[in-house]
Amino acid sequence: MKFLDRLLDVLPWLLATACVAGSVHIISVLLMPEVAPRSAFARLLAAARAAPTTQTGVAVLPPAAPGAEITPFEDPAFAEGVCLFDLSKGMMRVVADADPEDYLALSFHARTGRVFHAATDRSAIKGRIEVMVGDAGQIEALESQDEEAPPSQVRVTSPTKRGFVLIRSLAKRASDRDRAEQRLRLVTCETVAEPDS
Amino acid sequence: MTNYLKAFAAMIAGLLIGFAMTAVSLGLGRGFGALAAGPWTAWPRHGAADIDPYARAMLARTGEAPLGRDQGLAFIARADSSGATLDGRCAYRITDPAPAARYWTLAVATTSGTLIDNPARRYAFTSAEILRREGGGFAIDAAEEAHPGNWLPTRRGPFLLILRLYDTSLDTEVAPDPSTFPKIIKLGCA
Repeated sequence: MKFLDRLLDVLPWLLATACVAGSVHIISVLLMPEVAPRSAFARLLAAARAAPTTQTGVAVLPPAAPGAEITPFEDPAFAEGVCLFDLSKGMMRVVADADPEDYLALSFHARTGRVFHAATDRSAIKGRIEVMVGDAGQIEALESQDEEAPPSQVRVTSPTKRGFVLIRSLAKRASDRDRAEQRLRLVTCETVAEPDS
Repeated sequence: MTNYLKAFAAMIAGLLIGFAMTAVSLGLGRGFGALAAGPWTAWPRHGAADIDPYARAMLARTGEAPLGRDQGLAFIARADSSGATLDGRCAYRITDPAPAARYWTLAVATTSGTLIDNPARRYAFTSAEILRREGGGFAIDAAEEAHPGNWLPTRRGPFLLILRLYDTSLDTEVAPDPSTFPKIIKLGCA
């Protein structure tokens, strides 16, 4: 009986501990993408500042080397470039010419890690990939201005103000790397003013 | 007074247990929705908008930028086809077939996803560059010592093989057929 009394005595405190532990666990998992210091966005932001940027706004990343990887689990067979966007400064338009011979992939990542849009040269319309990135308000303003998007343009809403577009260009052979990098340089990332609504 | 102390203790213990649960759960695996085919496993949701919070937290912590779901799939193998963990002291042969894809690449990586340094600067093979047998079959050897043909250098310690399929028609809603994936055969150990 004494044991049961003791148990009933500590039970509320055990339950309270479990409640606190559960809440802390859920909150820390949900907050991790916001606060992680070495997230993909933080790594690419630092890498883009150090890398040469083309006139068309693409930061061409150095080839992956042991000990100098920008992000882990990245395919070393690719030449890569990145465009960072900040929608508070305007919308971002990304234009790439697609060549059916070569694999070119654009992925659109929110600062907190979600891939909100992805395209390859296969999804190009008339040999061209054109993506307009904006927040919900900007895309709405754009759509109210001209209901019909230009036929080759895809409009996507970014869940966060800041984020990045990762451009991956496959070097089919080691000797193809220069050509693959050249294809990256032909991609255009530009900030465009949002339409007046 | 004792009640205040107990409340304080419960709070501290809860905080510690909560953070420990987060650390353990993020270190354990790569989240839900895994797609397995023999020794190969992919996480298609990592590159989609419906990524789960655990996977998002895990990716934020490791700093990985996943492939978009519509671009391709990355299959990771930690073990050979018999189920034994990949070990850099052993040599492995990875043989055809490979699932239908416009291009694929096969890479070796450390368990934390970094490249393995080697004098040949060879970290991956693409489907376009490998030497093939007549009829299109292939064999890639992952070993510490140089092998003739397609040689992927490894080093001592555990390592990963990563098969990335680009523009693949593989359906991620159903379990893929393991017989369409490359086999990983242990050749021998030093």
